[in-house]
Amino acid sequence: MAYILSLLFPGLGHLLLRAYRRALFFSLLMLIHGGILALAVIKGRLGWVAVGKVPERYLPGYWLSTWILVGFFVLIWIWAIFDVYRLLHRKEERGQSYWQIVWRRFKKDAKGITGASIVLVMLYLALFSPFFAQGDPIKMNFTAIRQPPSLKYPFGTDHFGRNILDRVIYGARTALGIGAVATLLNMIFGGILGLIGGFYRGVADAIIMRFLEILNSIPFFLFALLAVSIFGSDPITLMIVLGIFGLQPARIIRSEVLSVREEDYITAARAIGVSTWRLIFRHVMPNAIASLLVTTTMSIGVNIIVIAGLSYLGLGIKPPTPDWGYMLHESQEFFRVAWWMAVFPGFFIALTVFGFNILGDSLRDVMDPRLK
Amino acid sequence: MFAYIIRRILQMFIVLFGLSVLVFIMLKLTPGDPAVIMAGLGATPETVQSIREKLGLDRPWHEQYWRLVSGLFNGELQAMTYHVPVWQIIFERLPATVELGLFALLIALIVSIPAGLLSAIFRNTLVDYGVTTIALMGISMPVFWTALILMIIFGVTFRVLPISGRGATIGAWSFLTLDGLRHLVIPSLALSSVLMAMNARLTRASMLEVLRQEYIKTARAKGLKESVVLLKHAFRNAMAPVLTNIGLQINTLFAGAVLTETTTAWPGMGRLMVEAINRRDMAVVLGLALFLAAVAQVLYLLVDLMYVWIDPRISYD
Repeated sequence: MAYILSLLFPGLGHLLLRAYRRALFFSLLMLIHGGILALAVIKGRLGWVAVGKVPERYLPGYWLSTWILVGFFVLIWIWAIFDVYRLLHRKEERGQSYWQIVWRRFKKDAKGITGASIVLVMLYLALFSPFFAQGDPIKMNFTAIRQPPSLKYPFGTDHFGRNILDRVIYGARTALGIGAVATLLNMIFGGILGLIGGFYRGVADAIIMRFLEILNSIPFFLFALLAVSIFGSDPITLMIVLGIFGLQPARIIRSEVLSVREEDYITAARAIGVSTWRLIFRHVMPNAIASLLVTTTMSIGVNIIVIAGLSYLGLGIKPPTPDWGYMLHESQEFFRVAWWMAVFPGFFIALTVFGFNILGDSLRDVMDPRLK
Repeated sequence: MFAYIIRRILQMFIVLFGLSVLVFIMLKLTPGDPAVIMAGLGATPETVQSIREKLGLDRPWHEQYWRLVSGLFNGELQAMTYHVPVWQIIFERLPATVELGLFALLIALIVSIPAGLLSAIFRNTLVDYGVTTIALMGISMPVFWTALILMIIFGVTFRVLPISGRGATIGAWSFLTLDGLRHLVIPSLALSSVLMAMNARLTRASMLEVLRQEYIKTARAKGLKESVVLLKHAFRNAMAPVLTNIGLQINTLFAGAVLTETTTAWPGMGRLMVEAINRRDMAVVLGLALFLAAVAQVLYLLVDLMYVWIDPRISYD
């Protein structure tokens, strides 16, 4: 019965099982996503609604957001049904796993919740920018050049009469997209180097450490600047350049591996003939995951700031793609007469990075087993 | 100890050599022939060829590398587009950046140490939350945006401070004149925001660490006044890591200077770097990168040696 109700509407099944808080949670999820759906339909930007009514070039962007939204709805449904299953088949009270403890502590941490909310809001702005935006972020309007903030243009317009609010919303896409992929690459490259260095030590470790020292000998930002000026700065190159040069995770993984590899259980695992890869993934990685998660969160923030800095110098994202850093670059010429061109994009950079920073800070606190 | 210093200096040269090779390779991968750029539009192929020969761009890579690096050291290497030796142009721009950096550091320390201290003493109170939140905001704000906002507030709205350039200077220094000092305010404030935040967090962490120590308990137990315990016993010991850490912040400082100097038209090394990159002047880029890395490496070594001096329990042998 609960399954059928959940199939009708996520959260209904929970009511039957008297899990009222979870029911509320799922209805809230539905409400938020339903709101986004309604917004998309009203503005006529949902894929099916928009076909044939707007210029061709808008459609890919609209469809992307539409499918992501559909995907989210599917996920909510599956999650709700799975959750009902879990409630019905709950075993006797078991001990608490590490992640349950972390989650309980995280829920009570105001800092972490604030950070997570900021990050989530930015993420949604990025994923569903066509639904939230007022119009087209790159359409110029020479009848409305450098309009101060007003009801029609809440954040004003720039020197080409483009709506700054829309550019800021679409800018979230650029910043988070490139920032996230670059960080993922950091983790992969850095992780591999750190594992090799920590695990095999000796010559490999020495070479890797020297290489990291060379990279660290001048600021990361300068390397990025140099690399971007050489390899160009289309978004893909930017991701790869930032991904390759930001190898900070390597140090963290390495030190984590070094501290773990002397433990008795590693010796024991070796003694029974566990293969190296299994050793790394089953025994070493789980220990490193906490510090890795913190670094990931923080490095997304760093990467966003670096991308903004590069674009600000005119060496990053190229116009007309909306990007916070490049918007500040453009505002440089006009800040005497149009303060809104400088204030809003920068505020969004600061807010996003702040979100990632406090989230990372809070994760570090809640995941530290010594702080109970 | 002596052996340790020698080893560190050797390591330093390895790092600098690696860096120079890495930067050289990256510069060589740059599309676009510097000789063509230098010759300008409408140059004949003969002119381009003669420039290429003059710069040695027709030689094999390793010869070019050697030429570049040895030229840097004996001062023969000319900045391609500035027509003066590389060292000369770097040293011309050096005082401006040093001045900006030192003032930023000064402002940062004056604000951040008391802030971090208060935050640690009043742990988990409103004061602490306030300081830590503001510090996190400081880390999150891009320096160029901070500079822009300061320029808008103080330069445009209230018109109390000049918004670009260095103003009057005496010798190479602008803080000696009132006009120069006024020009210094906005860039150094903007640049200090990041350092402020970092140092406040460091001071807080270091102070909390010290306050957990046994000797603080002892000091309190023997009935010393709380102010004496905090300032004399705790604060002095907590300062050591904070002060030594300043040396490690040089890279943050320089990365910030590149952006701040661009925003506020401050004629320092940071702006030189951006200019040189835009002009594809590889001699200047390489020179700056090596110079900066060398300064940073020396500072790191000094920091390590300072640990020994501050805390005799540490030794490197």
